[in-house]
Amino acid sequence: MSVWIPLWLRKLAAPPHFYCIAGKLRRWSGRLAVLLGIIALYGALLLAPTDYRQGDAYRIIFVHVPSAWMSLFIYILMGGTALLGLIWRIKLAELATIASAPIGAAFTLITLITGSLWGKRMWGTWWTWDARLSSELILLFLYLGVIALYHSFCNARQGARAASFLTLIGLINVPIVHFSVQWWHTLHQGSTINLFGPSYISASMLWPLLTMTLATKAYYLASLCGRMRKQLLWQERGKHWARRIIAMGE
Amino acid sequence: MSRTLLLKACTAMLRHDLTLAWRRRADLALPILYALIVTTLFPFALGPDRLVLQQIAGGVVLVIVVLAMLLELNTLFREDSDDGSLEQLMLSPQPLAVLLAIKVLVYWLTSAAPLIVLSPLLAGLMHLAPRLLPVLMLSLLLATLLISLLGAILMALTITSTQRSGMLLALTLLPLCVPIVIASSGTLVAAEQGLAWVAPLAWLGAALVLALVLAPLSCAAALHIGLDG
Amino acid sequence: MEPMILTHCAAPLLEARALCFKRQDEPVFAPLSFRLDSGDMILLEGANGSGKTTLMRLLTGLLQASSGEVLWRGRPLHRDRSPGDMLFIGHHLGLKARLTPRENLRTSVDLYGAARTNIDAALGYLGLDAVSDEPVYRLSAGQKKRSALARLLLIPATLWLLDEPFVHLDGSGVELMNHLLARHTARHGAVLLSSHDQRVFHTAGIKRMRMDI
Repeated sequence: MSVWIPLWLRKLAAPPHFYCIAGKLRRWSGRLAVLLGIIALYGALLLAPTDYRQGDAYRIIFVHVPSAWMSLFIYILMGGTALLGLIWRIKLAELATIASAPIGAAFTLITLITGSLWGKRMWGTWWTWDARLSSELILLFLYLGVIALYHSFCNARQGARAASFLTLIGLINVPIVHFSVQWWHTLHQGSTINLFGPSYISASMLWPLLTMTLATKAYYLASLCGRMRKQLLWQERGKHWARRIIAMGE
Repeated sequence: MSRTLLLKACTAMLRHDLTLAWRRRADLALPILYALIVTTLFPFALGPDRLVLQQIAGGVVLVIVVLAMLLELNTLFREDSDDGSLEQLMLSPQPLAVLLAIKVLVYWLTSAAPLIVLSPLLAGLMHLAPRLLPVLMLSLLLATLLISLLGAILMALTITSTQRSGMLLALTLLPLCVPIVIASSGTLVAAEQGLAWVAPLAWLGAALVLALVLAPLSCAAALHIGLDG
Repeated sequence: MEPMILTHCAAPLLEARALCFKRQDEPVFAPLSFRLDSGDMILLEGANGSGKTTLMRLLTGLLQASSGEVLWRGRPLHRDRSPGDMLFIGHHLGLKARLTPRENLRTSVDLYGAARTNIDAALGYLGLDAVSDEPVYRLSAGQKKRSALARLLLIPATLWLLDEPFVHLDGSGVELMNHLLARHTARHGAVLLSSHDQRVFHTAGIKRMRMDI
């Protein structure tokens, strides 16, 4: 299949070139993530005022909410790279899909754990079948399914393509899960309190939240680059450029 | 002309798969026995209290049917891939999606349909109110068809995967089935509470119509990915 | 190491252009270019693992080429819809163990829209009269092979792609196969086959193609 791809893009996508650029990107976005994370935590833990209803426990939203956003954001991104990989057989897109899955799963897990911690404080129970937490749990299973499917193949590229296909099916399923779980929740008349329901948020709370969101994005980029580099080197270990890098002990 | 050829190919496929199922007819009893045994475990685990069982009856029957299907689904396409008949199918001049849809239909007829027929018995063991039986069977009908179509895509995808236990299928298929389970059990809950239960059933029906068109096509695409290596 | 080019005139039945397939990013064979015209018979030669089976699966469209292309009667091979005048018999014969040879053949014939009336004659021709209503799992390896090869008689296809057609066949089976091959090429059919044992050929005018990494 011959698809017209701009020359600069093809050059960028050449494995040795990408390896080099991803290394730089990883370093810089990693530093950015640490910096933004520290600023956000400072704002969240020290500057933001105590909530008059929830006390200091609410501060967990500074981790919970950005993770929740990331958990969905990464899955949507994976859908995009999966599509690219399946249609044009772009190897880097396949790598990106596979490399994103564990990061996304980790953010989903963090969302679930922080949600459960908050739930313990607010409702006195570790787990409640809240609509959003339930959807998040299904999202975690979707991530784990993609990872497990990838690892069930001997042929890594075939595994990546199969996992990409599953990602796309899962992506169609995400909104369906969301709405069906909401409907399920209203049908069963469960607890009516929503976790972090609509509430007004003051500017002193908002900026640490947004900074933390940027920090998680930067972290994702750094982690993604690192994982893709490692996987690329492994898959190309027979090639000349990869052997040179391995020999240099980089 | 080509339409009559397609029809001929489809009937041949249907006869072929049904004959095969008939030759292994002893195996047809397995999902039924599985569902029966698992259902009887519930009273033993929860106690024979009629009210307790009644409260969870619909959901239990639904989940057991899904699990029984899952066990059977794990063999879909496997034998065809191992003996080379799947290759022959892909090389025949007929549209692959249509042939695969027939395979899924036969799978549904031989493993899900008996479970639906059996479901009143399962529901009876769990003391489900008899007036809910038609709703249960109707929602099972739609749900099992949807799960068969979805499961076929995943089986096509993992045709050359080295992991052949049902666990991988469970891990990948069940999260996708959550909305189906919610809608079909929701139908039952709504009927129980005397609410309008047609709406969730209509959603399942709409999903089924979509799946009938899209799933065989995805299944064919997945098969190409699954065999490409 | 050089890509092999067999040149001919007229529109080729099947043509491969710089065909390449990579498994795990490793090319399975060197880029191949060749053409196959009606009346041709090509024998694929090569050691185990040289990619003979992979090439056949590529030519049928079961696998997608990593680069290069396969042209069928001058048009790119469409992967989702097989042209239907190509027959492939591979290592896995595509027979259902619990069905009889007759039932197996009936399905194959119906899938290709061919006439069902010749099944008895074909079974007889291949010496399967006695076992035509036995389930395939009771048959010997040679009988299974013959049952699969009966498709060649029943389905009118121009191109035969045969992966090791002589394996498991006895002396008379080899004779039969040779006869079928000669008859097919005489009728302007084309054959691409692989075989480890080259003594079995009688057919004159066979072209040889070596596969190397």
